[in-house]
Amino acid sequence: MAKEPNKKDAEEETGGEFDDFMADISHEIAQRVESLDTKPKAKPQPEERKKTPAVPDAGVIVDWPNIADRMIEEMR
Amino acid sequence: MSVVNYGTREITCKIVYYGPGRSGKTTNLQHIYSKLPEERKGKMVSLATETDRTLFFDFLPLDLGTISGFATRFQLYTVPGQVYYAATRKLVLQGVDGVVFVADSQSRQLAENIESLQDLHANLAEEGLDPRTLPLVMQYNKRDLPAGEISPIEELDETLNFRDVPYFSAIAVNGGGVFETLRSVASLVLSRLSAPAVGEA
Repeated sequence: MAKEPNKKDAEEETGGEFDDFMADISHEIAQRVESLDTKPKAKPQPEERKKTPAVPDAGVIVDWPNIADRMIEEMR
Repeated sequence: MSVVNYGTREITCKIVYYGPGRSGKTTNLQHIYSKLPEERKGKMVSLATETDRTLFFDFLPLDLGTISGFATRFQLYTVPGQVYYAATRKLVLQGVDGVVFVADSQSRQLAENIESLQDLHANLAEEGLDPRTLPLVMQYNKRDLPAGEISPIEELDETLNFRDVPYFSAIAVNGGGVFETLRSVASLVLSRLSAPAVGEA
């Protein structure tokens, strides 16, 4: 069934229409946002990875900028 | 159109008032605008011809404030009803989230209502939108005219509302049925926020 319009006088004060609309819509949006569950779902904990053995000091790259330059050059 | 943006925490809904020329689309927006509290009144953009018909479109941004942490905006548009503004109608429909079809209840306007509805469906399809699933509300306007000049609601509904969507009789010129229609289409649009929007933005 069609909802009948309120046949009110043009002069009649109807300022509450927007407030009523806001009340309804706010409630609806609040419900919808809640149902969306905006918080990121907790990811399952990955299995603990084996720790990488500590690199002996002798293997630590100390001259990084030059190596990076070479790598970039080779990739071109 | 993305209606919910988690990045910026915004909800934006685009609602288009569609229908034949002089059916009362602009009058709907004018009534809504007239009832907005001052602090929420943006600018209603309305471009009309010399004969006062909508030339391009009307645009009414409706800032509802922050609701549940989301800045919520409804953007209300009308299309020009006259047949020769087909390109504008297509443009306005881009990214639409919901449609209010404003039908003129006058019996002699029935053919125009049907033509406009067909035009809506064709334009939606061109936009890649499914006219069978897009939120849609019918409004049968001008119910204040003499009974001899207007079609009964049942007849209008049987002819135009084949999707069996919510429908409202209205007297937009004095505001009757205007907010009821808006509330209904807004509700339909909001009900679709969930599925496609999760994970976006």
